Amino acid sequence: MKNYLSSLKISRKSDVTVNFLYQNLKNRLKLKKLNNAGGENKITDKNLHRPGLAIAGYVDLFTYQRVQIVGNTEIRYLKTLTLEKQIETFKKLFSFNLPCLIITNQNKFHKNIIKIAQENNIALFSTPIETTKTTYFVSDFLDDHFSPQTTIHGSFIDVYGVGVLIIGPSGIGKSEVALDLVERGHRLVADDVIKVHQKGEGILIGTGTELVKHFMEIRGLGLVDIRRIFGIRSIRFQKRVEVIVELQEWDRRKSFTRTGLDLNTAKIIEVDIPHIQLQIFPGKNITVIIEVIALNYLQTHYGYNAAKAFANRLEKVIKNKNKQNKRAINYFEHDFE
Amino acid sequence: MVQKKVVIKNKIGIHTRPAATLVKLAAKYNSEFYIMKDGMEINGKSIIGVMTLAAEQGSTLQLRFDGKDEKVMAKAIVELFDRGMDDV
Repeated sequence: MKNYLSSLKISRKSDVTVNFLYQNLKNRLKLKKLNNAGGENKITDKNLHRPGLAIAGYVDLFTYQRVQIVGNTEIRYLKTLTLEKQIETFKKLFSFNLPCLIITNQNKFHKNIIKIAQENNIALFSTPIETTKTTYFVSDFLDDHFSPQTTIHGSFIDVYGVGVLIIGPSGIGKSEVALDLVERGHRLVADDVIKVHQKGEGILIGTGTELVKHFMEIRGLGLVDIRRIFGIRSIRFQKRVEVIVELQEWDRRKSFTRTGLDLNTAKIIEVDIPHIQLQIFPGKNITVIIEVIALNYLQTHYGYNAAKAFANRLEKVIKNKNKQNKRAINYFEHDFE
Repeated sequence: MVQKKVVIKNKIGIHTRPAATLVKLAAKYNSEFYIMKDGMEINGKSIIGVMTLAAEQGSTLQLRFDGKDEKVMAKAIVELFDRGMDDV
């Protein structure tokens, strides 16, 4: 059986321009341009840097390629220096190839310092927002844009709040199962082309593409617009990927889990996700099984594992010396129904 | 595995009809078929996938075939691209 997730092409943006950062964050951070330089400078690192030590003169290991954030501490320190000394400091600092520098808390730079930045083609911005918040917003934005991403062929649906990714060979019926789930009140995220990116260390987020958004191909019928047919409650834009269900053709020789005690996982980018293989044959209702998979996932997530609970019960019965195979209810008075 | 590179010849690129022609041809073969453009790889047997590429005239696609009939399939698909997707 082919592994559909082993040959995924992982891509990652290598850079964003300073202008791109500015356009996306100017409203939230109330960013003001202090000069008109460095818009095309490239940001290649998602981490930020506060150049306190570099301002104090120590530039070994100075991570100049990062977005630089200057806050109250640096400004307070600069105030202890004479203007000549400050200019000397910034001549040294800006001789490095910084992409841009953001000054927080409505702090200001002397016009001569702004001039040095201009000469070295370094973008300067100011924000009234405090340093920790600024750091959070810029960092979150860069993390999102530099996150590794990939494209997966499958159907992605929110089933009872659980992000279920259905994969399998072309024509096995992924879209039909997705349609069936939507009909039962679940929400389609994307069909056929799913863009997945990793957020932080252990979270995968899946979305559709701008072009396809909630269209679906049903073989024999063609393209249908799920949002138009089923309305706003039948769709969503993004969802965390939580369970992978792989549809397979029925193969007698293949063994699969019978108890659910051992959970298989599959890796997408760098995240391990529970992976369930379902074999398809006539009379098997995949939609209902996927609903149960989602509910079972929720149960496990909330601390109840059915397979383990059953194993415990069995263990207790085995340990019990005077065991008999009891009826579920021993004597239930006058229940003749 | 067979890998090929093709350039889109027809004027308005791979719009809806050429996309349908392509996936119909691909569906006749058993091998896996992937198309890559701008770092994004999609399943060549999915019409939504192929249309997602929004491939314009002159753009280059990397094709990947994997399976028992990969060679015949690659030949047929590359020929279709060379004919400009039979688009008039």
